[in-house]
Amino acid sequence: MPALSQSTLLFDRLLKIVGPEGVLSAVSDLVVYECDGYTIEKHRPDAVVFPTTTDQVVEIVKLCGECGVPFLPRGAGTSLAGGCLPVGGGVMISLTRMKRILEVNCRDRYAVIEPGVVNLWLTNHLKPQGFHFAPDPSSQGACTIGGNVATNSGGPHTLKYGVTVNHVLGLEIVLPDGRVVRTGGPAEDYPGFDLTGVIVGSEGTFGVVTKIWVRITRNPEAYRTLLGVFETVDDATNTISDIIGAGIIPGALEMLDNLILQAVEAAFHFGFPLDAGAVLIMEVDGLEAGLDADAECIIEIAKENRAREVRRASTEAERLLLWKSRKQAFGAVGRLAPSYCTQDGVVPRTKLPHILRVIQEIGRRYDLRIANVFHAGDGNIHPIVLFDERDAAQVKRVLAASHEILDDCIACGGSVTGEHGIGVEKIDFMPKLFSPDDLAMMIRLRSAFNPEGRCSPAKMLPTAGACIEQSKAGRRAAL
Amino acid sequence: MELWPGDRSMGSTLEIDGFGPLPLVRPGSAAELGEIVRAAASNGSALYPLGGGTKLDLGNPPTRQGNVVDMRALNQVIDFPARDMTVTVQAGMAVASLQEILAHEKLRLPIDVASLRSLTLPARREGAQQSTVGGVLATNESGPRRLGFGTLRDYVIGISVMNDEGREFKAGGRVVKNVAGYDLCKLLVGSLGTLGIITQVTFKLRPLADQHALAAIPCAAESLEELVNRIHGSRTRPVALEALNPSAASVALGQVSLPLPTGHWMVIAGYEGNHTAVEWQVRELAKELGAVTPEVRIGDTAEPLWQALIEFNAWPETKVTFKANLLPSATAAFCAAVDRLAPNTLTKAHAGSGIVVGHLTGDWTRDRTAAFLAVWRELAGKAQGRVIVTRCPWEWKNVINVWGPIGGDAWLMREVKEKFDPHGIFNPGRFYHGI
Ligand SMILES: Cc1cc2nc3c(=O)[nH]c(=O)nc-3n(C[C@H](O)[C@H](O)[C@H](O)COP(=O)(O)OP(=O)(O)OC[C@H]3O[C@@H](n4cnc5c(N)ncnc54)[C@H](O)[C@@H]3O)c2cc1C
Repeated sequence: MPALSQSTLLFDRLLKIVGPEGVLSAVSDLVVYECDGYTIEKHRPDAVVFPTTTDQVVEIVKLCGECGVPFLPRGAGTSLAGGCLPVGGGVMISLTRMKRILEVNCRDRYAVIEPGVVNLWLTNHLKPQGFHFAPDPSSQGACTIGGNVATNSGGPHTLKYGVTVNHVLGLEIVLPDGRVVRTGGPAEDYPGFDLTGVIVGSEGTFGVVTKIWVRITRNPEAYRTLLGVFETVDDATNTISDIIGAGIIPGALEMLDNLILQAVEAAFHFGFPLDAGAVLIMEVDGLEAGLDADAECIIEIAKENRAREVRRASTEAERLLLWKSRKQAFGAVGRLAPSYCTQDGVVPRTKLPHILRVIQEIGRRYDLRIANVFHAGDGNIHPIVLFDERDAAQVKRVLAASHEILDDCIACGGSVTGEHGIGVEKIDFMPKLFSPDDLAMMIRLRSAFNPEGRCSPAKMLPTAGACIEQSKAGRRAAL
Repeated sequence: MELWPGDRSMGSTLEIDGFGPLPLVRPGSAAELGEIVRAAASNGSALYPLGGGTKLDLGNPPTRQGNVVDMRALNQVIDFPARDMTVTVQAGMAVASLQEILAHEKLRLPIDVASLRSLTLPARREGAQQSTVGGVLATNESGPRRLGFGTLRDYVIGISVMNDEGREFKAGGRVVKNVAGYDLCKLLVGSLGTLGIITQVTFKLRPLADQHALAAIPCAAESLEELVNRIHGSRTRPVALEALNPSAASVALGQVSLPLPTGHWMVIAGYEGNHTAVEWQVRELAKELGAVTPEVRIGDTAEPLWQALIEFNAWPETKVTFKANLLPSATAAFCAAVDRLAPNTLTKAHAGSGIVVGHLTGDWTRDRTAAFLAVWRELAGKAQGRVIVTRCPWEWKNVINVWGPIGGDAWLMREVKEKFDPHGIFNPGRFYHGI
């Protein structure tokens, strides 16, 4: 494959498609695009293009085809799994200029948007009508809905409302050969295979999503946001199982352990008790009627599990501060150590006490501090391993410890990623989760969309010769 | 003759859409199923998976000789960690049995599936059996609660499938949140058994509701749209919003003793949640509607009415049944058009989701059906939807295109089919676009 930098022809033709404002190729400009939120590996793309229309995307991918150059889509670049890593170089197609909200239909509860629309923009846009877009990753102020679709993002409120795929009705996708396909649409139950459902979560390996039909959700009428303070992590995790066992599906159930509390308190001064073993943010939402009954039941359960106290967010301001503390917890971690690295394992909810003990034990054994802040209701853990990247020996231990944690998630019947994706980061875990037969079917599926593998090569599925050396952990933000 | 390993059919056969007789095989394990598939692959014959046999009318007639694979011997619970709110079962298990097992732990799969235990409808035609997990997945069944709880695609978190080489593959897992690998679960749900034979499924579950209620409001045809819109915009949050035309209301609701003024539509809103929330919503709806007082059934007294609403989709006594998927706002107008053109049709809409099911009663011929279908398809198209025929005499299917005209993504579906089943072993020809 010709290196793009040598191919001025290709560059000229990209210029013709998107104009001088729409393409970057100077090395100094490309540095930013060497990696995403996963900074351990870096590869420079040969060019970054910023199309503004589907037609331009079509022309770009056709051109890449003609020149035999790989390409990959990119949203805001907040992926924590190296989803935007241009392995082997090529053209990076940034969707950030396709950012229009094309249609909002509250009666039929859908919106049509371009992929570069930032998650929170849509929710803000819908606010006057009393609606929102339900998936709310902690990165929602930055990440694009195109990125959410590609990674099937979750967030604190996905316990009750589901992940991205539950809110995507249809897609327009430009396939690697330049054909444009529309799957699904604003209505439900179109005949045929649910291609929409399988494109969501395909991590940009099927093509470039250029339009999205999303479901919009009515805002809850009211919230009860509770903060349970526990002496031990076990008491907190038992509370989670008991709440759900009681038939209550809270809007969110998030846990913060002592170490993360220290950091968050220093950053936001919410008034978290610094000596608590763990706290739970427990939020029920919905109609005003009946909400107190659920909240009372939760308080009762927390007390039965020896909660030291259960506080209520008494004002909206207090509720928002609590959520800010939670959603920006990762930013606060910077106070604890120069670098950190986060994992995204999942275990069955009842295995939470076990996995948290395992994490503690692994931390001790590798002499590493590990903080925990995570979507407890879903069993989706985010252990944050603290370290100093200047210490090469420590970095090695960080990777080894992280892998041990994920191996234990698999042993518990769980998964190595609940929401961040496989990307390039966890590609080596795929054969541990899936048999050769499973992987073979996934490869068959990919070959229906992306037969030559020119779109997002070396992602998600392990293929011979595309192994990525993981040597050093970098600084990573995450949730 | 040991042609078919695992053959326990003892010589029985089945006809599908006038095609056959097709000999039945009944694997007792996934391994036996694997052998059956490999045998079919090597002798170039087809396989037609069978669950409860309640939906065999759906789709085009089979195109190739082969065997029917009765999956009902694979009916075990594999794992039910109730506290994790997931369950893993084999695909041949009856949905009704699954729900019973779940109910012991106050859990459920919140998908409404018509069953034989109907309290309100005449018995099904002979030979019909209970729907199985694999069958409802393949046909993507849903019912009234889809408005509040979504459909099967929202609950399948893991799946195992026998592929064209007789090898079992899986996707997803057993945890409620998982983005490792492609989500083949989505692809399999609603694929009508054309990509492989589903052997095992893991669902995420929901708690049984503390309380539930149905509020029924009769209305004249002219005010249907307005009423549906009002409920839609109500402060209450119904988990079901059903609309029945006068014929459907009098037939389907006949045995639940709802007062039904003649010639009136019946709009029914369903609520679930804790006691306070449900009772408040029922009161609130009455308040918002003002002049009309809904007839309310709450708790156990609502059960027969829920059942009637669920069973309706499988109404046994009509020759032709269609299903439309539309923008919800277009539902009332579409139903009115159906009534105008074909007055005796039993029509019920999941009005909150834009799904309309109609059973044609009376003397319908093939050509008359085809002519009306063309009109309805045009109407549905304007509401961004389609119309499929879920049941009609198989002899008509060479003229009536049951899946309707294809969309722009059909070629890609065919491509997927060819990757999964290159030799066309599984349900060949029966699905959309002849897949
Ligand atoms: C502080 C922080 C907190 C986070 N919290 C969460 C969280 O709570 N939950 C969660 O799920 N994730 C979280 N993430 C991860 C990340 O934000 C999500 O994965 C997000 O969806 C990525 O969106 P993006 O626009 O940044 O996509 P990118 O990072 O640009 O891309 C991600 C992947 O999507 C592909 N892609 C992007 N756009 C398209 C398109 N139009 N068509 C096809 N493929 C495309 C890319 O090729 C890549 O594989 C967090 C990240 C950070 C940094």
